[in-house]
Amino acid sequence: MTKDKALEELFLAKKPHFDDHDAFMTNLTKRLDAVEYIRQHQEATIRRYKMAMIAAFVVGIISGAVTMAFILSTPADVPLFEFQVQTGFLLWLAEYSRPIAATALALVMTLGMMSIINNVQDIVRMRRKNAFIPKFSL
Amino acid sequence: MTREVFIAHVEHEQEALRSFLLALCCGNKSNADDLAQDALVKAYLSSAGYQDKGRFRSWLFKIAYNTFLNHKASSRTMETLDDARTLVSTTAADDSFEHQDLYLALRTLPPKERSSITLYYLSGYNIKEISAITETSEDAVKKQLSRGRDKLKEILKL
Repeated sequence: MTKDKALEELFLAKKPHFDDHDAFMTNLTKRLDAVEYIRQHQEATIRRYKMAMIAAFVVGIISGAVTMAFILSTPADVPLFEFQVQTGFLLWLAEYSRPIAATALALVMTLGMMSIINNVQDIVRMRRKNAFIPKFSL
Repeated sequence: MTREVFIAHVEHEQEALRSFLLALCCGNKSNADDLAQDALVKAYLSSAGYQDKGRFRSWLFKIAYNTFLNHKASSRTMETLDDARTLVSTTAADDSFEHQDLYLALRTLPPKERSSITLYYLSGYNIKEISAITETSEDAVKKQLSRGRDKLKEILKL
């Protein structure tokens, strides 16, 4: 495809010139400072959030493991808890208190871990979303 | 890319970028400069992912083009008001008065045709490069250029 001479000359003749170069760059520098400040603040918040998640994860695992060990180390013939009222269902609960407590604890730990993993994935997504990277290839 | 290197590149390319956006905004300088600033901030934020292959200007133009299209899409309801402003500005003796006929003619083109024409005639890119910047096929760029050129020649009576 060849260029149209008349149009090319028109565009060339009407090429704009800018005399506010310094003002434009000063304005840009101010914006970049503001962006930099926000970015640093955001990164610090994300870092803190991530650390809190990791701490919660570790504390949850340790306390869960300790509680689980305590439950499993108690004598098998002694129930973990007893009820004052003696009904069929409550007697059954007291009889199987160890496996019930262990299962409930495992369930809570699993849900907690899933929630923490989800939160960490959200943080990673937030970081990626902040980076606007257009692909370019010629 | 460090901030200093980025600013050094921008110092070199800002006039070309602003000319491109001024043509896309049909002579509305404040709008063009706002878009240029937005595009440069976006470029700065993604400059960590930029691999220097000597194509900084093309990379910048691509971001500017997308910024312009996003702005155009979000401000569609203001088009009528903009039209009214342009009619008033033809009588004003501002700095860009001498370019008004070209800008008014460019205004009649759809944004994609306007972008292709501007990149081709003002910025000097070839069809392959325009296709990469605008993320359209080379055939589509050729069609946009052909249609845009015919319309401009008719309006400007060239």
